Amino acid sequence: MKTTLFTIIFVLVSITGFSQSNEYYQAMGESLGGYANCKSGDDFRALGNQFERIAQAEADQWLPLYYHAHCNIIAAFIETDPAKKDAILDIAEKSMNRAIELAPNDADAHALHAMFYTARLVVNPMERGQKFGMLSGQAAGKALALDSTNPRARLINLQNEMGTAQFYGKDTSVYCDEARKLLSEWDNFKAKSPLHPNWGKDQAAGIVESCK
Amino acid sequence: MKFLIPLILFFATVQLLAQTTISGTIKARNEGTLPGANVYLKGTYDGASSDANGKFSFNTQKSGNFMLIVEYIGYEPFTRDVVLNGTAINLNIELQETFNKLEAVTITAGTFEAGDKKRANILSSLDMITTAGANGDVFGALQTLPGTTTVGESGRLFVKGGDSDESKTFIDGALVHTPYNAAAPNTSTRGRFNPFMFKGTIFSTGGYSAEYGQALSSVLLLNTNDMPVEDQFDISLLTIGPEIAGTKLWKTGAVTATLGYFNLGPYMNLVPQNYKWSHAPEGFSSAVSIRQKTGKSGMLKIYSSYDASNFIIGQLDLEQNKVVDYNLDNNNFFVNTSWMTKAGENRTLTTSASFTNNVDKAAFDTTNFDKELKGFHLKQVVSQEMGSRITMRAGAEWMHSFTEQTFKSPANIFVNGFTNNTLAGFTEAEMYASKHFVARLGARVEHSDYLNRTNFSPRITAAYKLNETSQFSMAYGWFFQNPSDDYLVYTDKLNYERADHYILSYQSLLKGRTLRAEVYYKDYRNLAKQGNGEFYLPESYNNNGSGYAGGFDLFIRDKKSVKNGDYWISYSYLDTKRDYRDYPEMATPTFASKHNLAVVYKHWFGSIRSYAGVNYKYSSPRPYNNPNSTEFNGERTLAYQTLDISWSFLFRTNIIFYGAVNNVPGFKQEFGRRYSNVPDDSGIYRSTSIIPGSGRFFILGCFITFTKKGDKNQLEKIQ
Repeated sequence: MKTTLFTIIFVLVSITGFSQSNEYYQAMGESLGGYANCKSGDDFRALGNQFERIAQAEADQWLPLYYHAHCNIIAAFIETDPAKKDAILDIAEKSMNRAIELAPNDADAHALHAMFYTARLVVNPMERGQKFGMLSGQAAGKALALDSTNPRARLINLQNEMGTAQFYGKDTSVYCDEARKLLSEWDNFKAKSPLHPNWGKDQAAGIVESCK
Repeated sequence: MKFLIPLILFFATVQLLAQTTISGTIKARNEGTLPGANVYLKGTYDGASSDANGKFSFNTQKSGNFMLIVEYIGYEPFTRDVVLNGTAINLNIELQETFNKLEAVTITAGTFEAGDKKRANILSSLDMITTAGANGDVFGALQTLPGTTTVGESGRLFVKGGDSDESKTFIDGALVHTPYNAAAPNTSTRGRFNPFMFKGTIFSTGGYSAEYGQALSSVLLLNTNDMPVEDQFDISLLTIGPEIAGTKLWKTGAVTATLGYFNLGPYMNLVPQNYKWSHAPEGFSSAVSIRQKTGKSGMLKIYSSYDASNFIIGQLDLEQNKVVDYNLDNNNFFVNTSWMTKAGENRTLTTSASFTNNVDKAAFDTTNFDKELKGFHLKQVVSQEMGSRITMRAGAEWMHSFTEQTFKSPANIFVNGFTNNTLAGFTEAEMYASKHFVARLGARVEHSDYLNRTNFSPRITAAYKLNETSQFSMAYGWFFQNPSDDYLVYTDKLNYERADHYILSYQSLLKGRTLRAEVYYKDYRNLAKQGNGEFYLPESYNNNGSGYAGGFDLFIRDKKSVKNGDYWISYSYLDTKRDYRDYPEMATPTFASKHNLAVVYKHWFGSIRSYAGVNYKYSSPRPYNNPNSTEFNGERTLAYQTLDISWSFLFRTNIIFYGAVNNVPGFKQEFGRRYSNVPDDSGIYRSTSIIPGSGRFFILGCFITFTKKGDKNQLEKIQ
């Protein structure tokens, strides 16, 4: 993971030109490299700030918005105070909605939207379960409908199903085959560019690990 | 290639020359440094986040004039023009908190709000419908909140020493003339509306907005659901009858149709009853609900229902000293519509209207008593935001009602009725002085053509936030209501009844724990009284009654201490006396309990996919009058106690089984005694005790939901 990221950064940095577009690639590449150093929620929010800066300079790019939302969703999962979780998700929500407006047919945008709704749900599963569970399911369904091979769409769909089963006290081992299949096929999916989402393999591996 | 080197050198030099360092500290006004703020130059990628000490520093290659922006959630963005010329820039920046109504102080005096908004509500919509003992009745669930008294022989809402007709119910802003189902005398009723229709509930036990009139004690504001999210078909099978509901969506709207039938006959054959039912309660209900989006932000909601029910119960006729059948037929037609739309960025228009046609036909022995009510309500409200801190609201409404009571005996027919039109207007301003202080000033004017009287009611509420978790609220206002229809059918020579409310409330919300304490005093005046003359003569009525009610309410909610568990405790102390109706003197009314306690507990058992609820309620003895005694309202009922349980089991994701028992230990419940109208030969008024229909109540059910995806269920319905 780290080596690929460094390679990407190296390639991006070495093709530095004078155009705005190359500056964009460089800034995005550096920020994407930042994921490797993030540990705490504050780290993710600071990285989110970097993406937000790129997003405000590049009004028609959806990827900086996507990553800004992604960083804050992760930070919300790490946060333990429910009120703060919601406040962080409010930050993510704006970028999330804007990203979907710009890339309405991208499976990754909808997959992240599903993850966003799940983050809203976990703030209070008892009260929000029904509404946000359904919204998350719908977003994941939309992502899969756009691209059934997208591994993040498959991952989030799988996580949702396992989460629901767990909540209702059902056995989650039935999802293990699907998780193994997802992991084995993970690398078959080729991201559209080095800047496009490429995360999630670790989580898939984690699910497979927990099945053993 | 050689030419590249000087070029690169040239650019490198320019960049070196132009590099500017920008650093500084970010602080919040009065609140120390802010870590994690985003500092950047507008239109560039250059910037940094402030560190744990609020410090930031970054370099930029840019030169010239740029705008520096600092952003942090919950604070106003900070902007500053900077000139980049290589000279280091150091800034100490102070951010100002954004004014956000959702985080600001809220007026809570007298008000319980239940909803699914993100804001920390004391109750969620779910709580409204998952309380054991209430069995899915909105009014039953509200009776676990402080300020209410459970009156077993009525089932209606009695709030802070007020009679049940002092409470009014509104759906999407429009008045509901007949919120309760028809019930036999001295038996408990239920609400007409399915609680799952509502996304939010505001229950105000006093001091409410000038938008609401014709209620001396409380208003219940029910807000219906917005658009459903998918097509579905529901089947409910309960021991008292089945119900089916179907929802169909289209792009900008949806329709839901519901059909239900109930018959308590089979149940009453199995479970022994205290009364003899010649015809068990039976009826059918139908409803159609339409949602349509209009324009960019508008929403039109239409709900219409038709219910018909009938029963025959044997009641002891104390004059004849024998059991006589009491037969009641009820027909109720109801339409409720509302249309809400934005007119410009800051203006909202809401139109609401309702129409009710309710007919009760009662027969007892050889007499018939028919009651017909036609009610219409139309209201237009404009809400205008003036900046982020002031909201102005104004509205006008027309309430029309036609009431007719027909009394038939073998010898006579008496028909009495009246038509009333009340026109009203109100205006209200809500002003936030800061995040910590809000005040709402309002006034309302009403004119009734039947009484030919006008009233004016000022209303004031304010709230002050002490700190992040606690706040005080107060409310004061005048409240008017027409005297009871039972009097107005005989006279138009009455004035409005009036109650003045004084409320002081404290609330503390801390991570899943809530504490509410409230003290109040209500001053009743001009209460309608029936004097000594004959009941059908207009001169027999006057407005000489008066009264007071005072007390304190306590509410504790805790979702935190027990894992997967959640409970609340309500306690109310009430001291009240009044002289009204046919009372000979000031006395504590029959519906008032000095002490009321409710404890509600819910628990989720994940391993067995079950949701269990238990609920205990206690009300201290209430007074009732014994005409054989010289002391008015001198007798006391038994204390009221009940312990209810409910259990839901998720069998499949779309199938749920449900069971509930009310009054599990079989506490003896008796609501006083009923006396004959005239004494017998020995000069004694004969009497019989008023008891509920049965000692315990059981219900079993099964809920099945079909959707395209097949994973939705009605768990929300019965948890």
